[in-house]
Amino acid sequence: MAVQDANNNSKSKTQSRIAWAIAFLFAILQLLITLIPFVFMIMNSFRKQFDMLQQGVFHLPDPWFFDNYGTVVKAGFFGYFFRSVIVVAISLALTLIISAFAAYPLSRMRFKLRAFIYGGIVACMSVPMHVTLIPIFDMTQKMHLYNTLLSLIGPYVTFALPMSVFILTAFMTTIPKELEEAAEIDGCNKYKNFFSVILPLSKSGLSTLAIYNGVSMWNEFAFANTLLTDPKVKTLPLALGQFKGEHAMDIPLSLSVLTLSVAPMIILFIVFQDKLVKGMMAGAVKG
Amino acid sequence: MATAQKTNSLGAAKARSTAKAASVFLLPAILLIALYILYPIFDTFYLSGFKWNGISSARQFTGLDNWKTLLTDSNFWAAFQHNIIIMICSILLQIPIGVLLATFLDAGGKKLNLFKVIWFLPYLMSSVAIAFLFAYALATNGGLISSFATIIQGKRVTVDLLGKSPQALYTVIAVMAWQFTPFYMVYFIAGYGNIDTSLYEAAIIDGATRGQYIRKIALPLLAPIIKTACTMSLIGSLKYFDLIWNMTQGGPGNSTELMATYMYKLSFQQFNMGYGSCVAAGMFILITAIALLFTKVFVVKEDY
Amino acid sequence: MKRKVLSLAIASVLSGALLAGCGSGSAGSGTSATQAKSDAAPAASSAVSTEAASESTTPASAAKSANIPKLTDQPLTITLWDIATEDPAKTIQEGAVARFMKDYPNITVNQVHQQNDNYKQQLVVAMSSKQAPDMYMHWGGGPMAEYYKSGFCNDLTDMYAQYDHPDFIDAAVAQSTYDGKMLAIPFGGYSGCDLFYNKTIFEKCGITELPKTIDDLEKDCEILKSNGYVPFSLANANKWTGSMWYMYLVARHSGNDEFNAAYTQENGGSFTSEAFVWACDKIQDWVKKGYFPEGVNSLNADDGQDRQLLYNETCAMMLHGSWQCSSIKADNADWYTQNIGVMPFPHDAEAEAKGVPQNVEVGTAIGNGFSFNCWKSDGSVDQDKLDACYVLATQYYNDDTYNQQQLEAGNFPSIKGMEKNITDPNQKIVADIFFNASNVQLWYDQYLPASVTEVHKNCMSDLFGLTKDGKQIGEEEDKAMQAALKEQ
Repeated sequence: MAVQDANNNSKSKTQSRIAWAIAFLFAILQLLITLIPFVFMIMNSFRKQFDMLQQGVFHLPDPWFFDNYGTVVKAGFFGYFFRSVIVVAISLALTLIISAFAAYPLSRMRFKLRAFIYGGIVACMSVPMHVTLIPIFDMTQKMHLYNTLLSLIGPYVTFALPMSVFILTAFMTTIPKELEEAAEIDGCNKYKNFFSVILPLSKSGLSTLAIYNGVSMWNEFAFANTLLTDPKVKTLPLALGQFKGEHAMDIPLSLSVLTLSVAPMIILFIVFQDKLVKGMMAGAVKG
Repeated sequence: MATAQKTNSLGAAKARSTAKAASVFLLPAILLIALYILYPIFDTFYLSGFKWNGISSARQFTGLDNWKTLLTDSNFWAAFQHNIIIMICSILLQIPIGVLLATFLDAGGKKLNLFKVIWFLPYLMSSVAIAFLFAYALATNGGLISSFATIIQGKRVTVDLLGKSPQALYTVIAVMAWQFTPFYMVYFIAGYGNIDTSLYEAAIIDGATRGQYIRKIALPLLAPIIKTACTMSLIGSLKYFDLIWNMTQGGPGNSTELMATYMYKLSFQQFNMGYGSCVAAGMFILITAIALLFTKVFVVKEDY
Repeated sequence: MKRKVLSLAIASVLSGALLAGCGSGSAGSGTSATQAKSDAAPAASSAVSTEAASESTTPASAAKSANIPKLTDQPLTITLWDIATEDPAKTIQEGAVARFMKDYPNITVNQVHQQNDNYKQQLVVAMSSKQAPDMYMHWGGGPMAEYYKSGFCNDLTDMYAQYDHPDFIDAAVAQSTYDGKMLAIPFGGYSGCDLFYNKTIFEKCGITELPKTIDDLEKDCEILKSNGYVPFSLANANKWTGSMWYMYLVARHSGNDEFNAAYTQENGGSFTSEAFVWACDKIQDWVKKGYFPEGVNSLNADDGQDRQLLYNETCAMMLHGSWQCSSIKADNADWYTQNIGVMPFPHDAEAEAKGVPQNVEVGTAIGNGFSFNCWKSDGSVDQDKLDACYVLATQYYNDDTYNQQQLEAGNFPSIKGMEKNITDPNQKIVADIFFNASNVQLWYDQYLPASVTEVHKNCMSDLFGLTKDGKQIGEEEDKAMQAALKEQ
């Protein structure tokens, strides 16, 4: 009996080893597919346009050319950068708290109109953003927010809401009812409940949302381009246009802008993904 | 009798307080959405009844004319068809690959963090950069794919992925998958995180292998998350704009034209805002209908 | 194409200064002030010349020459939109504004650089909310007409006749005119469309004489091909790039006649007429013979993929806008000087024998123009503001400093006599071709109504992708053109 068991065990171990080997093969393939365009973005940002075009984009920089980054920084890159940080930080914080607020009753309370409101918010996901440009431009003018960083926060938060509420509602639905009920017996009301039970347990959902919305806000172009025209308030996605003329575009220069724009996101993600793991562990501990 | 009444009024009071709490929690979201989304959408539907170039103060009310045109507009329906193809392919590509990657990372634990970070990179890139890099990677002359094919076949081969219909559309779909799969991966990792570890431990004690655990226990538990992801991917692909605009502008011909790019061209480039609004409104109706249908068909009864 | 003929006629009338100023009710500075035309000297310098004789009383306007509107001495703010995000255009255009503000300290110009890619959308959004800038750049053609018809563009006919302005070339005036009205002041300079070639490759292949006719060109293509080169570089993902070949072949085969007829769709005019079908057949024949690189529809000119084919010596020629002189030079001046030559698009010998003019140029005569949007809240013209905009656009943009800087940057001001100051040999050729043109055909994609443009561009994919033949392409363009004409 015991022998058979051990046999089984070693058999499944070899099986598992083979499975891992295959998985790793695909994992590395995926790694390459992912990395190659990135490597080329960075490589080509260290070249002159002519060299890039003549030698081809898949050639190592020869010679290396470092001035692009200097040019970009001199053109006020960090100004664009910090304005973007401000807008994204505020918008993101608001998005997370407002969508968590909204997802809570939608996922865990029974009341009239629940289905209607949930349906309405989810339907808003299908609104194509570009049709709102003119009305929002109009509104922004009337609110005297045109050409200020504040003008972006409203649209950014609002357009992130439907998807965020949708995701968070799904997440909060999976939190066991008993936890909340226990808290209620302990005398917590709905509001306290939200902050002490639901919010902490939604961490992993919230961090996913932070990534999802953070990236799209960081790269958002259409609203920024429409609502900001003063160079003193322009955000990072508009910096790219600074190096693009009517007929000519300095591609390596643009790539160095893009590299510099994406670098902080990568750093944040590396830091943040640890938090993500913690969020997951919080989810795991709850049982 | 008296007790029954009491419970009833208690119930009513509880319902009232729940309704109150619910409205407090929902208020900020609803206000913002009303202002920035509902009003513009209302405006769009209103404008769809006009013949208007978008800038003139003279608008001509034409009733349902635009809508009649829309119903028979072969360009719009071709675009819609492209959207549907993108939608189906995106769900079939992005979600399964996302699940696979997440499963791999979940099984491997922390030591695979490097994979996670690198796999996630594409999602951080802006569409402009992606469009540029893939224009070169897919180029007929010296592009990665063409060069690769040349090496394999031992003679000069040109693989024209973006320049011909219908492969241009499928190429764009692949690039979209490259961009968005990482997001679903992270989403599913979070989903895995929500699964109780004790379930895994119990399964192992019962003699289940990792694979069995994933198939029999984890994936079913992940189902609601996967469903949400599918809905997101579905809506995302139906209103997609960015990458297509930067990469092909709908070309070659109109083989990668989407509803959103078509609407944009009409509204902002062709001075046909009235009809552009009608396309946008039609788009809104179609996407909502498809999303609804999808959630109805694949509904996983949520209980709470 | 009546419209264009008419506008040309009016333009020549205008520049002939027969239209005396029909007092636009402005600050009464104008008698029949029509000295603007003096063919001998470059008008720009005459307009800018510091004839201190001016007896205007306000210090503000004293600096400049006599015959310009007297500007207000009240504080005034002008919002100006351009697309000069990048140097050298940025420095040059900001310089013009700075000189203006120095001379008129009471006037503030709020100069906003928008991004080229989304500029048309920006204008639509702003105009629809009645927040359009007072002065904005555009490319002429269909959109300019649309801005005018919608009330966002002041009619400059009277002012242009009454006051000083640079002596713009006739084609530039024609392209600033719509429906007989002067609507824009050019400031960007003209761009032709010419055949760039690699001198070194030509030499290596023993091509000593540049092709004069399309038949010669085809012979040279065969020589190039047998030497392992692809004759023409083209990146047609953008579609308007392929359109250059189509436009030129049509123009060489029929002058302007067939396009003009097709534009109105009258008297049998059609995009399926002989020259159009001939052009399509020619292009498709060349595609089949491998004169173009494989997969042109997937190559993107914005990403420089056509220049790449030139730089890595895959291709020997490239038909492109004359701005490529400065683009290539900016990429690598040495390489440019050593390798790049320019020639006019070859003649169609057969058509030439029939008397079809072979010097029609494809391109733009104004490049960019400024239109003005100066209205009071009651809908009447805000003359004070308009005067200021006019002076800024005609006397500071387009002044000597500005033009000199434009030339140095490789742009050619659309002003008579300017071509004499060009030093770059290729640019000299470009100017020479341009000024000897019997007519300048504005790019179809800017000239045609916007809805037709879209169809035309898609057809260019089909043309080079061999998915539709000339007749099918013509029929589609006809259909779009007829629909657009019905709309008007």
